[in-house]
Amino acid sequence: MNAWIGGTLVLFFAVCGCGLILSAILRGRYPMRVLVGFGAICSVLMMIAAGIALIDGRTFTATLWHLDGLGSLSIQIDHLSAIFLFTAGLIYLPASAFVKNLVESRYQGKYPLCRYGVMYFALMASVVLILTAGDAPLFLISWECMSILCYLLVNYERRGDGRAAYIMLTMSEAGFLAVVVAFAIAARMAPDWSFVSLSAAAAHLSNGAIWAVFALGFFGFGVKAGLVPVNFWLPRCYTATPPVFIPVLAGVTLNLGFYGILRLNADIAVPRGIGPGLLALFVGSVTALVGILYATTENDLKTMLAHSSIENAGIIVAGIGASLVFRASGYSLAAAIALTAALYHIINHSVYKTLLFQGAGEIEVATGTRDMDSLGGLAKLLPALSVVFLVGCLSIAAIPPFNGFVSEWLTLQSLLRSASLMSPAVKILFAICGAALALTAALAVTCFVKVYAMSFLGIRRGEWKLRSSKGIKRPHFALVYLASACFLLGILPTYVIPVLNRAVEPLAGASATASLVPPFFTATSRNQQLPTSFLHDFHNLGAQAGSSVLPGRGMVVLVRGGQQNPVIFAMSTFYGFLALAAFLLITWIVAARATRKRKVARNELWAGGIPRLLPEMSYTATGFSNPVRVVFQAIFRPDIVEDTRKTVAVHFRTAILRRREEEHPVDRLFFHPIGNATGWFATLLARMHHGRLNAYVAYSLIFLLVILALFRVI
Amino acid sequence: MSFWFWRGLRKGMHTTRYPKASETAAGVTPGRPVTTQFASVQQAALAAQVCPVGAITAQDGSAHVDLDFCIHCQRCRFGNSPPMDWQSDYEWTTLPHGLRRYEPLPRAYRRSMHIIVVDAGDCGACLHEVKQLNNPFYNMHRLGMFFTATPRTADVLLVVGPVTENMRVPLLKTYEAMPNPKKVLAVGACAVSGGIFGQSFVSAGGVSSVLPVDLEIPGDPAPPLAILHGLLVVTGRKAPVGYQSSLERSA
Repeated sequence: MNAWIGGTLVLFFAVCGCGLILSAILRGRYPMRVLVGFGAICSVLMMIAAGIALIDGRTFTATLWHLDGLGSLSIQIDHLSAIFLFTAGLIYLPASAFVKNLVESRYQGKYPLCRYGVMYFALMASVVLILTAGDAPLFLISWECMSILCYLLVNYERRGDGRAAYIMLTMSEAGFLAVVVAFAIAARMAPDWSFVSLSAAAAHLSNGAIWAVFALGFFGFGVKAGLVPVNFWLPRCYTATPPVFIPVLAGVTLNLGFYGILRLNADIAVPRGIGPGLLALFVGSVTALVGILYATTENDLKTMLAHSSIENAGIIVAGIGASLVFRASGYSLAAAIALTAALYHIINHSVYKTLLFQGAGEIEVATGTRDMDSLGGLAKLLPALSVVFLVGCLSIAAIPPFNGFVSEWLTLQSLLRSASLMSPAVKILFAICGAALALTAALAVTCFVKVYAMSFLGIRRGEWKLRSSKGIKRPHFALVYLASACFLLGILPTYVIPVLNRAVEPLAGASATASLVPPFFTATSRNQQLPTSFLHDFHNLGAQAGSSVLPGRGMVVLVRGGQQNPVIFAMSTFYGFLALAAFLLITWIVAARATRKRKVARNELWAGGIPRLLPEMSYTATGFSNPVRVVFQAIFRPDIVEDTRKTVAVHFRTAILRRREEEHPVDRLFFHPIGNATGWFATLLARMHHGRLNAYVAYSLIFLLVILALFRVI
Repeated sequence: MSFWFWRGLRKGMHTTRYPKASETAAGVTPGRPVTTQFASVQQAALAAQVCPVGAITAQDGSAHVDLDFCIHCQRCRFGNSPPMDWQSDYEWTTLPHGLRRYEPLPRAYRRSMHIIVVDAGDCGACLHEVKQLNNPFYNMHRLGMFFTATPRTADVLLVVGPVTENMRVPLLKTYEAMPNPKKVLAVGACAVSGGIFGQSFVSAGGVSSVLPVDLEIPGDPAPPLAILHGLLVVTGRKAPVGYQSSLERSA
């Protein structure tokens, strides 16, 4: 098996290198074909390698070459790497396939795709290297390559002043430095820098050192993951990113942040107390809430999706934090459930966010605008796109039977497991975070109802014209692929959880499969894997229905309790979906039979009898989200509200234009104070620079004397 | 603490028993002048002269009243001597002029009928009377009649006002938006005939010049019981004034 993984990886790097070189050499339409073809092959190879690693029980390791003093650069694919690698391949496939769709209509030869192709393949290789790195140097080198390539790709179109990408690069570098320091602290006791020996040496580290590793790593990787307060680059950068690249940014490189956090803080230097876990939980909940609040009130499709990415990152990190707390308190099973939920959410988020970003990219290409206040009526203009986009919206809003529901539900359920924790203070914090996440889930529904309703339903509100005819008859393959992934991940969680559990088991110290996915189908009264009474209860409920047809462990996700309450929680999206489909079918048949004699009369849209329904009269995105803005006024705190009155016609109809500027609380509380402090310090230093030579000579003399005095003392 | 429940029980029911028994409470109707036989031709002419809206026509010593125009000012009753005969009834709903046959809504609508009200330039009087149908005294819900806000679910279009130019298109759109079967009721003298506004460049002069009217409820304003009578006629539980149903005619 090891040979297979190695071979696949070698093949991957070969194909990737070929793609890179061919992109650089070829001209005309060929770079795009190379990008689509070689990109798709690479992503499939990624999935194959990860799949073999997941099926194979052992960890794949290979040494690349030896570095004097730093140990050797090595590659290691354990189950955690494999899951992230699989997700990356899952996203790279549609991201590569979708390039054609956007490039043809948006660039039309304006931008040379060869440069993009070179960077694209280089980024793909560095992402795979990050995920498969077996030691800190390789990890850090690839990470640095990834940061710079991301910067270049975000700035690929060279529109605007490039500030957004520059902020991202700055933040990435700051995070990178923190990560380097974290690794350096973790490696103090280790013989070399490989992850295995770092992990073994972490046992000798003091509590303070572990805390330092956690804080630095959490900050450093949190930058990439988009956590409060280091996420101010994210909405700016996503808005400025070309639609070709944004699926990779949102679906692949965001996950690297989670991978880093899991690798460093859950695998290498595991916190001993519950403090770090609580910090992660709290930061995650705050991030989720702030993210969804801004997503709900934002009217730019892309910026809104960026804020929603922040929200999802918050949910994932809250799950990771809860897992760390449970693990430190000795509740391995709860830790495993929370970590499973977090990993599941990582995959789900990648899938539906890529789908939504690609849909938004297609909307932008087709209409030329991203403003939800001026979109509208797209369901009639782009019916095929509207269906897949609806699937994405339902998934991200956590509506069963789609995938977002499963992972968010598991995350919330795992937070409820805090009842078993001892300390009341911790319980209260869990309750607050659980409430924040529940609120987030509710607001996410509001947010994506708004997104779909305002973009696709109603009438056209803006002055745009449909530019591209794509997405009218049938949706792009990439979108269908992602939408079906959303659906399958939603209805078949019982097949996904055991796979995730392989990565979770070594990190959490317990297996969640036996508890979350009891073997209903494979267990009979003969082999006695489950208590007879338990099996009997569920037999009557129909949990065993279809056991002769369906392979696997069953279709019900549940957590088993003790004697008094055998089931703590249970859920089956598969049976739920079947019931839903059956109900819809029955309703449809009954309604069709009952009304088969009726004639359908079609008439003009009823709009209250007004002569003509103007776009200005219809509901807008701003109006829809205004209640949320009013309720959470304390968080938004608009800085400037400016009303300008304008007389449209003589004597009557005065238009009031309201302009409000909101400052993101992260900007207000972190970004601007830091900027102001830096400015203040620079001004202070500038005072010394007044151009008098005598003064400079005096400074030198004073400095020299101080140094001498210091050395004298020492 | 509030004892509204107990007080309500103690107070008992005050709702009119109208369709089952006639309502005789004071003030439920302003009444109307009816055709009067005077002693002389001059007296009849005088009665016609005193009417400010020209609803009374004199003919050979008798004065006829066109209720489509009457505004119940009672000048022919108190400002005239001898007075016109005055009748305190409220069942005034008639078929429009020239319409002989009348089909009520199908039986299914008898206990479930939804009404949309369109204010086509009303002064507020008729609309106020229409609103009274919802109050505890008239309480049309007990008869299975409901107001609805959208024409998509409405069965009856109840129009008040003489149909001003600005309301002509909305009224037409409302009518078009209603599903079949549908009935149009013109409520009040203005809606029936244009009333004191008549026909001008801003007023269509009655609903019938815009839409096919099925029933007319005169009165300015038409009292709630008159409107209720009109709605009962739509459901087929009462007959229009002066209308002989085919059943009665054949008998």
